[in-house]
Amino acid sequence: MGLIYTLNGLYFAAFLFLTSLGLNIILGVMGILNLAHGSLYAVGGFVAAFLIGLMAGGPIALTIPAAFLAAIAIAAAVGFVLETTLLKHMYSRALEYQLLITFGILMFVEDAIKLVFGGESIYASAPMDGMGAMNIMGHTYPKYYLFVMLMALLAGACIWWLMAKTRLGIMLRAIEMDRDMAHAMGIPMRKLSIFAFALGAGLAGLAGAMVVPTTPAVLGMGMDPLIMAFIVVVVGGLGSLKGALLGSVIVGLTRSFTIAYYAEMEMPLLFLIAVTILVARPQGLFGQS
Amino acid sequence: MKNEIATNRRNFLKAAGVAGLGLGAAALTSVPKVAGAAKARKIPKTPVSLAAISFLTGPAAGPFGIPGDNAYKMMADVYNQKGGILGRQIELKSLDEAGGAKTQVELARKLILEDKVDAILGYISSGDCKAILPMSDELGGLILAYDCGTHVLMEGEKSPYDVPKFELGFRTAAHLGQDNIALALAIKKYMPNVKKIAGINQDYAWGRDSWHIFELAIKKLIPGVEVVKVLWPKIFTTDFTAHVSALQGSGAEIIHSSLWGGDAVTFLKQAMSADLLDNAKMAMSRGEPYPQEVGPDFPEGHFLCCAGTHYFLYPAWDKWPLNKWFVQEYKKRYDKYPTYPSYHAFQAIASYKTAVEKAASLVGGWPTIEEISKALSGLSLETPSGYLSINKDHNAREDCLVGISKKVDAYPFPILDPDRLEVFPSFQVNAPAGISTEDWIKGWKV
Repeated sequence: MGLIYTLNGLYFAAFLFLTSLGLNIILGVMGILNLAHGSLYAVGGFVAAFLIGLMAGGPIALTIPAAFLAAIAIAAAVGFVLETTLLKHMYSRALEYQLLITFGILMFVEDAIKLVFGGESIYASAPMDGMGAMNIMGHTYPKYYLFVMLMALLAGACIWWLMAKTRLGIMLRAIEMDRDMAHAMGIPMRKLSIFAFALGAGLAGLAGAMVVPTTPAVLGMGMDPLIMAFIVVVVGGLGSLKGALLGSVIVGLTRSFTIAYYAEMEMPLLFLIAVTILVARPQGLFGQS
Repeated sequence: MKNEIATNRRNFLKAAGVAGLGLGAAALTSVPKVAGAAKARKIPKTPVSLAAISFLTGPAAGPFGIPGDNAYKMMADVYNQKGGILGRQIELKSLDEAGGAKTQVELARKLILEDKVDAILGYISSGDCKAILPMSDELGGLILAYDCGTHVLMEGEKSPYDVPKFELGFRTAAHLGQDNIALALAIKKYMPNVKKIAGINQDYAWGRDSWHIFELAIKKLIPGVEVVKVLWPKIFTTDFTAHVSALQGSGAEIIHSSLWGGDAVTFLKQAMSADLLDNAKMAMSRGEPYPQEVGPDFPEGHFLCCAGTHYFLYPAWDKWPLNKWFVQEYKKRYDKYPTYPSYHAFQAIASYKTAVEKAASLVGGWPTIEEISKALSGLSLETPSGYLSINKDHNAREDCLVGISKKVDAYPFPILDPDRLEVFPSFQVNAPAGISTEDWIKGWKV
């Protein structure tokens, strides 16, 4: 079973990576501790679940890209609206204002989702059912889980390319390193802040879209990933792609093996790891001090 | 078909109107002075204000809150079309249970003291029930808990304990004890030689209490059974892959679960995709809604309990037309079959109406809440699921149905196999008043 436990851990890590990546970009570039990230994840989940239901019976090769791209686009659009109307006023405010407003947004978006999609769960397992399963050393393993891992790696590679190889990414990293200096250098802070928030929101939307074939879209679905993503950010370090990846893998594997061998310790052990890193290396494994 | 429904509705309304009068004579002896003093009382013209509180947002809204709230609205509408309660229209305030126990305590205080509602019919969360039911006596407001499951709500710490725990607090459905005891009894019947069992239950009071009672009962009924894995995922988990693998590795033949809502569906889907359910049987303490939720792929042969006898096909429609009426009326209005929270909501509002009518017939006018409370204690009424009785401990007793999933052509999802429906009478799955469920099970001579 060891191989299956490892695959399960990596599969969970894939979701964490996508969710924490968006959270990390928003926190790193904009300095906003975004509690509404979970609701952007939920927006992506509901949009994808709705579209998968709408395209029921169609080929999954068409359904999956349509649902996922729509989820990214709509979550990014919601992020754009939130940044340009509410969050832009928060950059110079203290942390507690950010927490209050992003928590308020979380509540508001949840109600908006209910207004648009209704309160009932939306099931959208067609992509997972359609892909079927494969045999790995005598164990049935759904192909969709492997697809999720590949998608997360692909998204990570795209973000790495954007941040490391493009002018846009260099400017974003400059803001992350020294906001005042970047401003003094003439970097268009407003435009880049909007872009960073929409990008982070889109990544949250993608993570939400990828989870709904395995679990129904339900109101409140963004809370659990939000908590786990914060653990990953603490472990991996602020503003680090490598940190997000390694943090996700550490959390994913720890969770999988703990559940298999000593289930009672699942959450305590994860929090213990986070606390230990906070004490020993507050900037996280790959964060800047 | 329409006439048939109309006839059944009439029968139902008649039944609901007179239900409980059978026990009315017995209750007379408990309120003779009140009856004598209130002969000249009038029935107010103002509406009866009922607060119906369920989760209308959050993950518990879809599986519980909305089906419960739908049934409240439907029944208030049906009752109002037939003249309300003793001629008073029902004014239903449909309110959200979200926000946690503290928020709900404040809301209950406002509803009773400021809004002066006639009764609160509410609560799905056991935490909310535990926080709010003690307030009934403190604030002088009638509170009928309708869906929360914890067995400790109405029980004392040591047996025997005094009943009722609250004068004005009631629960109009049976608690989780019956679900888990009934499951254990069904397993003993169909898999008496089971050797290895496991559990996956959410890591909070509901999950812990459900497993505790099930483990006590199954070990008492099948003494050699071994618990090979116990998992406690936190509530609203979206990834159960690690749990599924851990259960596969355990070799369990039976997996007990009280998972609910999205958690239950997610776990089942992920378990099905890894073929876990080909080798192990689920025993779900509140599994009744999930074949409908999961759909045609829900596997056959798994034990599903119904939180009572709440099932859209049981009691059989030809034998119990009230269930047929309820199912068809609900389906017509909401395009879904009612699930057990809908039945629980019916029980709450029908219990209130029946108790008011019973008390009014004794006191000769609109009763006080103390008189309604006396009428509720010992009340028996017909519901779509059969007979419901509210014991002197103010907790309802019901029979309990356990079925085994089976695919049939007539429905787009598996139903409970009509040839293997096990109905356990209420006395077999509910502890007597004054004895805790735990002590009761420990005292069984198997």
